[in-house]
Amino acid sequence: MAILEPEIKSMHDSHEKQPDGLYEQVTDFRSGNEMAARAAAQINYHVMGYFPITPSTEIAEYLDEMKTRGEHDIVMIPADGEHGAAGICFGASAGGGRVFNATSAQGFLYMLEQLPAQAGARLPMVMNLVTRAVTGPLDIRGDHSDLYHGLNIGWPILLARDPQAVYDMNIMALKVAEHADVRLPVLVASDGFFTSHSKRRVHYFKNRDAVEQFVGPMPRNYHHVLDPKHPITMGPYMNDPDQINSRYQHSLAMYEVERVYDQIAEAYARLSGRSYPKVEAYKMEGARVALFILNSAAETSKDVTDELREKGLPVGVVSPNLLRPFPKKAIADALAGVEVVLVAERADELGAHGANLTHEIQAVLQEVGSRAKVICRVYGTGGREFYPDDAEALFQLALSALNGEEVASFDYYGVNPGDPDAEVAHVRLQPLTKEETSGFVSVEKEESTGELKVKVPSMRALTGKAKRVAPGHGACPGCGIFPGIETFLKGIEGDVVVLYQTGCAQVTTTGYPYTSHRVNFLHNLFQNGGATLSGTVEMYFELKRRGEIDTPDDPTFVMVSGDGGMDIGLGSALGAAMRNHKMIILEYDNEGYMNTGAQLSYSTPLGHMTSTSGVGPGRPGKSFQHKDMPQLMVAANVPYVFTGVEAFAMDLVRKGAKAQWYAQHEGLAYGKILISCPLNWKAADDAGNRIVGTAVKSCFFPLYEVEHGVTRITYNPEEKDERVPVEDWLSMMGKSKHLLKAENTQVLQSLKDEVERRWMRLKAKHDNPLL
Amino acid sequence: MDTQKITDSDHELNSAEIRLESIGGLGANLAGKMLAEAGVLRMGLNGFNSASYGSEKKGTPVKSFVRLTPANVTIRGANPIEEPDVVGVFHEALFKTQNCIAGLKPNGILVVNTTKTPDEIRKLSGLKTGTIVCVDAMDIAVEEKTRVNTAMMGALCREVPILDPEAVREMIRDTFQGKYPGLTEANIRTFDRGYAEVVTKVYEPDEDVVPTAFVRPVSPMGYKTQPLGGVIEAVGNSILKDLSASRQGFLPAFEVEQCIHCGNCDQVCPDMCFVWEPQTNDKGKTFMFMQGIDYQYCKGCLKCVDVCPTDALSQLREDDIYAQEHIVKHQFPVYQG
Repeated sequence: MAILEPEIKSMHDSHEKQPDGLYEQVTDFRSGNEMAARAAAQINYHVMGYFPITPSTEIAEYLDEMKTRGEHDIVMIPADGEHGAAGICFGASAGGGRVFNATSAQGFLYMLEQLPAQAGARLPMVMNLVTRAVTGPLDIRGDHSDLYHGLNIGWPILLARDPQAVYDMNIMALKVAEHADVRLPVLVASDGFFTSHSKRRVHYFKNRDAVEQFVGPMPRNYHHVLDPKHPITMGPYMNDPDQINSRYQHSLAMYEVERVYDQIAEAYARLSGRSYPKVEAYKMEGARVALFILNSAAETSKDVTDELREKGLPVGVVSPNLLRPFPKKAIADALAGVEVVLVAERADELGAHGANLTHEIQAVLQEVGSRAKVICRVYGTGGREFYPDDAEALFQLALSALNGEEVASFDYYGVNPGDPDAEVAHVRLQPLTKEETSGFVSVEKEESTGELKVKVPSMRALTGKAKRVAPGHGACPGCGIFPGIETFLKGIEGDVVVLYQTGCAQVTTTGYPYTSHRVNFLHNLFQNGGATLSGTVEMYFELKRRGEIDTPDDPTFVMVSGDGGMDIGLGSALGAAMRNHKMIILEYDNEGYMNTGAQLSYSTPLGHMTSTSGVGPGRPGKSFQHKDMPQLMVAANVPYVFTGVEAFAMDLVRKGAKAQWYAQHEGLAYGKILISCPLNWKAADDAGNRIVGTAVKSCFFPLYEVEHGVTRITYNPEEKDERVPVEDWLSMMGKSKHLLKAENTQVLQSLKDEVERRWMRLKAKHDNPLL
Repeated sequence: MDTQKITDSDHELNSAEIRLESIGGLGANLAGKMLAEAGVLRMGLNGFNSASYGSEKKGTPVKSFVRLTPANVTIRGANPIEEPDVVGVFHEALFKTQNCIAGLKPNGILVVNTTKTPDEIRKLSGLKTGTIVCVDAMDIAVEEKTRVNTAMMGALCREVPILDPEAVREMIRDTFQGKYPGLTEANIRTFDRGYAEVVTKVYEPDEDVVPTAFVRPVSPMGYKTQPLGGVIEAVGNSILKDLSASRQGFLPAFEVEQCIHCGNCDQVCPDMCFVWEPQTNDKGKTFMFMQGIDYQYCKGCLKCVDVCPTDALSQLREDDIYAQEHIVKHQFPVYQG
């Protein structure tokens, strides 16, 4: 909560008395992410390069929605991953315009190598870090471990403790970034979910002009690479003895930020009525105990401070609004006279006897000769809630130390030992036996032709083959993922080892402490499944060669990925393909990043509506054609590539069998299955089978396979006289129905032309083994 | 500055606290947002709204929290609501898997989307005292082609004194007008019918009755029991879960006499609900036979009905006992260890 100084407040009131004034503000009810988007739209940045990641994704979604309503002109570029997004931002900033981004967690770390490079290149921009846990088992909830990785990147960091602050800090951040004495990219960090998704009463400037006036015109007297009259070399090769001088410039600029921030915050307070001192000291007059704590949890702690103060306990809260540069003097001032400081940290610096800020506070206090006891408690990681009684417990701990009791200087707060008898830890299914998964399907190579002959029993008989996924997963009703995967796996005999990339299939089957998987399952980060499973495959064969593993048969290694994983993980998947490991990559394509709320993927067809490709006047959904991943894999010359859908079940079972044969005998097999997402396709729960079947019959998603470069269409709707117009498929989904309206004729035609062009090429390949 | 008293309960901030219990897809999140937004923008209050966020999919249990206070109170915390004055239950089946009334004040209000009577809901929920409000929001939503959320909002406004129905009604109008103008009038009608079609009964406070306390969930797994690195050793333990609360009023009914045991249903089912058994005929040949449906996992998507070539599978409006009476359990090789 911003401090409303009485004098500032009266100024604010005087603005309210002039409702037509430039700085008139409206009262609204908004979340942190909405306010970040509001500020960005009002600033009207030139370019946003982004990649969706929870919980920051909504910022791009809201901006997309606002763009559909014509509320800003920001060019929004959906990157291939956060590393790409950071590259887009770097390049756009090098071009001299205003640049914006938002990210979280692993996404932030994925772009991390870019961030010191951009700061070192002195290219300003503003990025929102909506904080979230960075950890081994995937955790999408909020803590500060990503933020702590950002402490060393050379970006000034502003903290936004509530949705109001998210708006205000975003506006101030740009001015800090562009200031002549700074010229650095700036991070605005707010708490994932606690701030990003919770909605509160907020105020913002009614007119964009007010924001434009405050941030001022973009400074143009700086180097950029788009001026033909003044060509420059940006990004030279610089070693010793020069780099240290560049580094020193950067260091000096960082320390300038404190002064610049003060000026900007003061000017902003005059206009807005909201004041953000570098460090907020709450009820610190006469306090002997201080809780040093960041962002949303600091707010929770204030209510508790009020209660404890009423009981006469000498406690207060210190929380910074500026984290980098670390406002050393202001913190020392706030803590002057304090005898116990409890530094509550929502992340750990593992093995360092306290997390990052504890050491920084200790350094500050030592410098001013304070003898205050500093206690560190790591709390609330992985999104664990922070209740008022948690704040009270931390205060009580500090008060115990004040009273001379023995209190460990470092520990975790809020862990639990667990129940050794918990049912969930002990109830499990027997491992699948060979009999349950074998003897159904056979593949034989015909020596004379080299052709693979596949024998598959009826679907009825295949119901006797054990599924590798157990019931009880949390996917949406009517989800097409599991029918797709399991139909494919019906073709595969024996043991499998699966790797699921991050996505719906992974999170719905492995919500701790439950798992739906009956076979060995592995997950690594979103974009790295291809490489990861390569490592597992090669380890298996090397262990086997050395006689260090005892398995009756080789397992079949299957990587399962959504289309999102194949965007951000394209490089890793192609790398595995080039190396031709004995594994299968199975992509389930639901035409969007459905796990994070239906943002566009490169596989989203032209014109389709997603939460980042809105539909409105002049904006007919996604602006570019869908990625043709099978053909990219064909170009990688892997032995086997196929497409499939659940609606052509036997076709898919057969392809599963062939994929297994190739993965066992030759190398990498890749298959793409189109699967339905009723929720985000805006279709009935029971319609998925029909929709993917119609996608095949319309030739949008032809069924084919490519063996050693030779293409064979496995179902030709024209030959069966079953081809339907593309419109029949589009009309089945709320996300694409609008393409049938008169105003979208051109987009529809363009999609149909592309479908036809790809289909004709495929037929030509089918007819000619050399193509 | 004096703060007006807005509820009878004893919350620190003098707040009125509402918790909505729902499953993803019914619009509880939006309902919570609209209620709080109406409070802030149209009822002269301050407000806060959040929800239980994770990677919740459609059909999984979700909660939405609304905290309303006098306008001059600063709401700082972002923590969930544990001792609500009002609980709205968007889906009756949630009583099976969630402690919906946990922490509800003794004189609290429980609003339920149901076809049952308040007495029946009292029995089902275990609520002893307070006000029970029943509304058939699902029926209204089906008729108006909307979602249950606006009907539930109508029922909430009818019985929760702090909620001004006119303000909430206008909030709904604004919200839909902006995003889905075609649905505005249907949602206003849904709201009005929810408001009108409540059945309410008050169960007087009883000093001997202890309300159901809210207990913060503690994970059964902890630092002494979690296998290192987050590994789960208990493969397939998701079979312990009950997903029947994901169903939104419909389920597939199965008649074995009509079944030709083709396997289509099994192949398209996202939730592995179909139970099969090998049987040998008099010629000594073994075939698979469909035994029935394990409704514990059925989310009611009805894909199986869509692909069934006979009338063996059909869509049924779910009642209390059909699934219970017709469930055929999977015989998984479970062991403890």
